[in-house]
Amino acid sequence: MLRLNNVTSGYGATTILHDVSLDVKEGEVVTIVGGNGAGKTTTLRTISGLIDATAGSIIFEGEDITHLPAHQVVNRGITLIPEARQLFPEMSVLENIQMGAYRLAAKSRYDQRLEEVLTLFPRLKERLQQQAESLSGGEQQMVAIARGMMACPKLLMFDEPSLGLAPIIVSQVFEIVKQIAESGTTVLIVEQNVNQTLKVADRAYVIENGKIVMDGQAQELMGDDHIRKAYLGI
Amino acid sequence: MELTISLVVNGLMLGSLYAMVSVGLTLIFGITKVINFAHGEFMMVGMLLAYVITSYLGVHPYLTLIFIIPLLFVLGVLVQKFLIEPLKDSDEHIQIFATVGLSIAMINLVLMIAGSNNFNTPASGMRHTLSLGPATVLTGQVVIMMCSIFMVGGLHLFLSRSQTGRAIRATAQNRNAAQLMGVHVSRINMVTFGIGIACVGIAAVLLSPLYPVNAQTGQSFVLIAFVIVVMGGLGSITGAFIAALIIGLVDSFAGFYLGSSLKDVAVFGIFLSVLIFRPSGLFGNARKLAHVS
Amino acid sequence: MNDKTISSSSSGGYGGVMQWLLNNKSLLFITLASLIVIPVMVDDDYIYHIFITICLFAGLSTAWNIVGGYAGQLSLGHAIYYGIGAYTGMLMLNAGISPWISMFIGAILAAGMAVAISYPCFKLQGPFYALASIAFLEVFHIISLNWVGLTGGANGVMVPLELGWSTMIFRERLPSLVIAFGLMSFTLVVAWAIRRSKLGFQLIATRERESAAKGAAIRTVHVRLYAAAISAGLTAMLGTFHGSYLTYIDPESAFNLTFSIQIVLFALVGGLGTVFGPLYGTILLVPITELARGWLGSSAIGLHGFVYGVVLILVVLFMPDGIMSVIQRYLPTTRRRRFNTNEDSPIDHVHLDDIKPPARPPIGELVLKVEHLDKHFGGLHVTNDVSFNLYKGEVLGIIGPNGAGKTTVFNMISGFLNADSGSVAVLGEYGHFSFPKTPGAFARNGVGRTFQIVQPFAAMTVEENIMVGAFYRFRSVEESRKVAREIAYELGLYRFLDEEAKNLPIGGLKRLEVARVMAMRPRILLLDEVMAGINPADLREAIELIKVIRNSGISIIAIEHVMQAVMELSDRVIVISSGEILAQGKPEEVVKNEAVIEAYLGKEVTDASTE
Repeated sequence: MLRLNNVTSGYGATTILHDVSLDVKEGEVVTIVGGNGAGKTTTLRTISGLIDATAGSIIFEGEDITHLPAHQVVNRGITLIPEARQLFPEMSVLENIQMGAYRLAAKSRYDQRLEEVLTLFPRLKERLQQQAESLSGGEQQMVAIARGMMACPKLLMFDEPSLGLAPIIVSQVFEIVKQIAESGTTVLIVEQNVNQTLKVADRAYVIENGKIVMDGQAQELMGDDHIRKAYLGI
Repeated sequence: MELTISLVVNGLMLGSLYAMVSVGLTLIFGITKVINFAHGEFMMVGMLLAYVITSYLGVHPYLTLIFIIPLLFVLGVLVQKFLIEPLKDSDEHIQIFATVGLSIAMINLVLMIAGSNNFNTPASGMRHTLSLGPATVLTGQVVIMMCSIFMVGGLHLFLSRSQTGRAIRATAQNRNAAQLMGVHVSRINMVTFGIGIACVGIAAVLLSPLYPVNAQTGQSFVLIAFVIVVMGGLGSITGAFIAALIIGLVDSFAGFYLGSSLKDVAVFGIFLSVLIFRPSGLFGNARKLAHVS
Repeated sequence: MNDKTISSSSSGGYGGVMQWLLNNKSLLFITLASLIVIPVMVDDDYIYHIFITICLFAGLSTAWNIVGGYAGQLSLGHAIYYGIGAYTGMLMLNAGISPWISMFIGAILAAGMAVAISYPCFKLQGPFYALASIAFLEVFHIISLNWVGLTGGANGVMVPLELGWSTMIFRERLPSLVIAFGLMSFTLVVAWAIRRSKLGFQLIATRERESAAKGAAIRTVHVRLYAAAISAGLTAMLGTFHGSYLTYIDPESAFNLTFSIQIVLFALVGGLGTVFGPLYGTILLVPITELARGWLGSSAIGLHGFVYGVVLILVVLFMPDGIMSVIQRYLPTTRRRRFNTNEDSPIDHVHLDDIKPPARPPIGELVLKVEHLDKHFGGLHVTNDVSFNLYKGEVLGIIGPNGAGKTTVFNMISGFLNADSGSVAVLGEYGHFSFPKTPGAFARNGVGRTFQIVQPFAAMTVEENIMVGAFYRFRSVEESRKVAREIAYELGLYRFLDEEAKNLPIGGLKRLEVARVMAMRPRILLLDEVMAGINPADLREAIELIKVIRNSGISIIAIEHVMQAVMELSDRVIVISSGEILAQGKPEEVVKNEAVIEAYLGKEVTDASTE
């Protein structure tokens, strides 16, 4: 469904990703893990069009989306739930979720989708009119995910969903990710918290210093020493 | 007592005019983060066009809205697209110079074409006096007051209920996240600028039967508009409306007690105090001051 | 020392500088000379007038540039100081005092006013500062209209036509031209002197990146006030002259917004922040508009204003760095060279063998004591009871998952953030502990820090960047330059001394960041993710470099993610997770600590890999 071929990208003079290739098949849950500064977030931002790749290509459902601007990538069916949530702080929970359905293809299915999303996040149903910035970290993450789902994406990408959240909330978040995956949406998660994400994923890539150093079935990677090495240098 | 009522009524009338001028300015800043130094010049252009069309077609000045609203909207879009957008990644001072340059160019273009003459659009019945208790007002002023309420209310509804309005607010609050929702940010910026200028165009048309226009007219309004916009909190429509009414009252009372030449000192005094002690405005919050981009 | 490196740089550099001086200076000389020669040769009253106007505006623009360009404070109300100078001159002339004296009185008044106005406004961001300056100008305008007793109100002030040098009023134009030229030259000299002095460096550093400037112990408010005062004083002097020249002043022309904007326009067109940019900008624009006016007839009011407006828009869109940047690009050898990315090894190797560090000294006394730091951001508890010590000569590593609050702690131990509770004590030079609170105070107590997002002072060369740090210890430019060169050599940046800092690759920028801080000779060095994003080859060198710094007796705290570096360098390691200290101890032990592994990887991976 999604394929990255030898993608190189970064910010200004700094190159973060060097020659990265990976693919995500329809219906899969794929995860990219790695330490800080390894390039995980850069990968997702490049796919979603916030950063322009300097080399290589990104193909989605047969179409070359490498240099598409961000809002058009969304229209193709790729939605990113960004790092640190990035909600609209002064808008209410409901308005944030409504913005999620901005994409044309989502508008017709708005009511039905809203129903589904609120069933998945009952806590949000109680807080619909509350201003987004007044919510707790965990609740904000729920809003961010709900907002992402409203776009009815074919591919939903998560950027470090566990960031800054207490362990209990993190488990809840991953539970939801699992449910989303089970409903048929293709998922790409980028995470630092290896444990949780390997439990949920089908396949995993390990990224280090902007290069993919390992990949394989998630189960196999769980017990692998390479991962410890990549993170802790031992 | 009667004097006070007169001054209050006068102040509110003045305030609603200021509100109509300022609301567009605050909208533009809230979304595009640009301070449009040329805002007054668009008002001046609107008033001139109202004069020209009224004089040549003999229609009531208010009818020129049909023509002026879309024209000014398009002007706003063009300015955003060709002057502001290309500079979005530049230093702040470059962006300031761009609109300052536009302002200077527009004023002097009018000077070249029309000289420094004053132009008076025919009153067309808008200068009939009405009595509101002890106060005397002009029909045109009452129209302005009502329209300002409609304008502010209408904008508020537009921003809070419509999909485009939501997109505009979203872009103001988090540009990147808005892009991730599929919002075409540069198009939203153009629409917003256009709306802002169209608003000032409406103010211009409604003012034209009451007030003469010359090349410098915009300058006298724009400084007050800035004061209001900062006081109300940049980006806040309701804040601008309330601040405008306050400034209108200050203007009215100071004008009476200090005289017309000194009243501006009171207004600027308030402005400088707000800037220095509470730059986020009386109603805004600190976030809106940040140059989010 | 490696002779080949030094000599090739010197000969290229020295010769290059000479050539530049020759080229730029000759252009300047010709320009200045023509300002006198042409009008004298043409000997026409109107031409004299134009050239006097050029000199006046060039001077005003250059004076404005000191605070607008160097310091980055965009004042659109500078006419205030012009007006003060003009009125002071006229009023005093009416009282029989020569403008040669009142010039200085006006300058002092203007300088005082500048300080009074600027101080509260400095914390305003760009457009708001501009708006405030306009508001102040309008207030002056209104006051001068109404304070009829002092200023004569709208009627303005005239002076008796007493001719002569003591009143600066002449029948012929040439003496006025001489005075205008003289004042303009004086302004140029002052602007040039400031640019090359310590004040100039500090102003530009403050403009470019205030946080780094504060970290280099620059008093950012003071330096900007100096600039504002000097700028206002010079502007007022020019105003005094102009008043005599016109023999009339009124509020409309003295406190005029358009006039203010014109001054700024010339500086912008010429090149903000350059020394001679405003001069060239004025010389280019004033004749153009005068010619246009002559061609279309002087009845075309608004024409020169229109041209100015259009020029401003065009410059802003297509040439925002002004004429000077174009000149510098096309003159044969300019001092600021463009970085050639085709060169093989972009950064020189660090010259470690030459420095020959002594053997590593034993770890000594306590130099930094952090106790019970606590910080909340809104509802978030970002730092929770963090305490640790740092000893002389040791390397303390701080590691932890993303978002754990490491940089927040760093900000609290360098003065960029104040903790809600808890204390940070730094051992001073004479053995006492102090509790600094601001970046400047920490810097003065020997704490230097680098920033995670590396940003050099873009408008300056590599050498100048390092000098900003060196100025902390030295008053003179020459000494700072010498120290900067030494440090550049030690850190392998010698070849790039004259490059514009923004052209360095990421590895070089990181080293530059360290170099700038090292120039301050800190006792404690805080490194914020300094190894991030550099390639493996540079990594080895970077690690060796830190060792050398450590061996010279400097205590280091480093936030790091690159584990190889942490392991090799750290004597002790602190792990911060969710704002708390999870573990402290020797690196090998900490990394095997189960809680730590869990924080990074999560529980079950740990279980799986230990089975």
